[in-house]
Amino acid sequence: MTDTITPPATAATAPPARSRRPYRVGRGGRGWLVGRGALLLIGAAVTLFPFYAMVVLSFKPTGPVTFPDSLLPWPFSTEAYDQVIGAKSMLRWMWNTLVYAVVSVVGVLLFASMAGYAFAKKRFPGKETMFWSFLAMLMVPYHVTMIPTFIIISELNGVDTYWGMIVPTLANAQAVFLMRQFIASLPDSLFEAARLDGCSEWRVYVSIVLPLIKPILATLGVFVFLWHWNDFLWPLIVGQSIDMRTLTTGIASLQQENVPLNMLLAGSVVAFVPIFMAYLIGQRYFQEGVSTTGIKG
Amino acid sequence: MVALPESRVRGSRPARGPVRRPRRPSAREAGTALLFVLPFLLLFALFRFGPAIAGVFLGFTDYTIGGDTSWTGLENFRRLVDDPTFWTALRVTVVFTALSVPLSMLASLGMALLTRRAFRGAKLFRSIFFLPVVTSLVLAGVVFTWVFADGGPWSRAMGALGLPAGNWLADSALVVPALVLVSVWSRFGYGMLILLARMQDIPAELEEAALTDGASAWQRFRYVTLPQLRPALFFVAIIETTVSFQVFDMIYVMTGGGPVRSSYSLVYLLYDQGFKYFDLGYASAVGVALFVMTIVVALIQRLTLGRDK
Repeated sequence: MTDTITPPATAATAPPARSRRPYRVGRGGRGWLVGRGALLLIGAAVTLFPFYAMVVLSFKPTGPVTFPDSLLPWPFSTEAYDQVIGAKSMLRWMWNTLVYAVVSVVGVLLFASMAGYAFAKKRFPGKETMFWSFLAMLMVPYHVTMIPTFIIISELNGVDTYWGMIVPTLANAQAVFLMRQFIASLPDSLFEAARLDGCSEWRVYVSIVLPLIKPILATLGVFVFLWHWNDFLWPLIVGQSIDMRTLTTGIASLQQENVPLNMLLAGSVVAFVPIFMAYLIGQRYFQEGVSTTGIKG
Repeated sequence: MVALPESRVRGSRPARGPVRRPRRPSAREAGTALLFVLPFLLLFALFRFGPAIAGVFLGFTDYTIGGDTSWTGLENFRRLVDDPTFWTALRVTVVFTALSVPLSMLASLGMALLTRRAFRGAKLFRSIFFLPVVTSLVLAGVVFTWVFADGGPWSRAMGALGLPAGNWLADSALVVPALVLVSVWSRFGYGMLILLARMQDIPAELEEAALTDGASAWQRFRYVTLPQLRPALFFVAIIETTVSFQVFDMIYVMTGGGPVRSSYSLVYLLYDQGFKYFDLGYASAVGVALFVMTIVVALIQRLTLGRDK
């Protein structure tokens, strides 16, 4: 598929306009509509099945799981939830995950918006070099930098601490890039006016820049939260003790200890619900974030 | 994470151009600007730039935590070449990527085409298809372990179709295909959204014209839609390849690399060597190999899929 992009020669001479007319269904007509509906329903069923299984099987009493009758909603039991939520470590993991995700969101948004503002609207020596070195580093796979980062954190006695887990993730170059792009599109006059009124630079940032960049703060915030909530490898190597696990590394550890399926799934549901709620409420940010910035899901 | 072409970024504007004023920044202006950049700059230097350099550098040493470190030159890479586990991990990673990227892109394209036109429920379907993207692969892995279990839904379905039943995750030939299916499930919604965004930008006149000329649905897709989608497909291919090369979470949860290393990926090897055996120099060498692979494949994709005209 390299160079066969020759559109039918007549395309250029075809009558223009009529572009806003509803799309005309091709020769398929009704058959196409039915076929499309069927394919979409199958796709949706396959996509949703694991979620259904996760929820239904988490409400089963402990015991052998048989297929297909286990997929019925009964026998119904909250036994697994009682045990999982009753376990002290699960609550601790939830708290750890929350701290990891929320503090990282605040930190990434703060530092990236400050840097993005300077890169977009200020002039200073070394600006271009710095910015391009940020971008160049996006090429280096995370796993190459992960090992030295771990060594630095362990030399600083940051293993098994919140700060050791959080601080390295604040160096998010993609966030700075997106911030800079967004802030660059804002007219300079907005900042100049405030500056002429005698506002300090910090004041301009807090009361002019931050309110104006709310859309990108929301989009980026949603994704940074998602990445951290679902993050696995970094918390796995930095949070080594039971007390410092997150929900993902904690559930993975339970699974390796052969905890019964209903309890694993109850834990999974508990870990999934916050993301699901965030997705229901902030769908627009998730989907627009991907379509307008290409941010990785 | 890949930087996007500027045109796709909301509110983008060329960085250079008439906006830039010729006068030199005053010392004071430059000073305050640097203060704004400084916190990020320090974090970046310490946790990205430094480690990226050090990560490559470590590959040429025998660094272990607490031990003496000496320069060993190409020793780690020689070891890598002689290590059958490395070749296994490389093969697993390449096969996994070669299967999951095209399949997931095919699913992305199919679902984007199906939900392209506004109809009642189109948004709901898009939201459903994107849901796995926001779901942790650890949680998904727990459920899929059951889905693939012997006597579970997948083995029953395969049995009914006359295909190999039994637990695919325990079968050395079928474990990678099983993981590929999970990966497709988890990733296709992302590509779908990228392709949909691009499809909205295709001028309706193009297809109208083709329709007037009597082009069939297939011809319209093949000669109008597909060429217009090429940059977006290229973008998705790069992202998905990078994601696939780094597959780890679901393997950790679903198979632990087994049975007998038949689902052992490069990042799994890096994790084992670095954080189980604390051979961080050797693990870094694996990281360098991954880096080189990523660049080579990105270049190949650039030259084929990403070529202009």
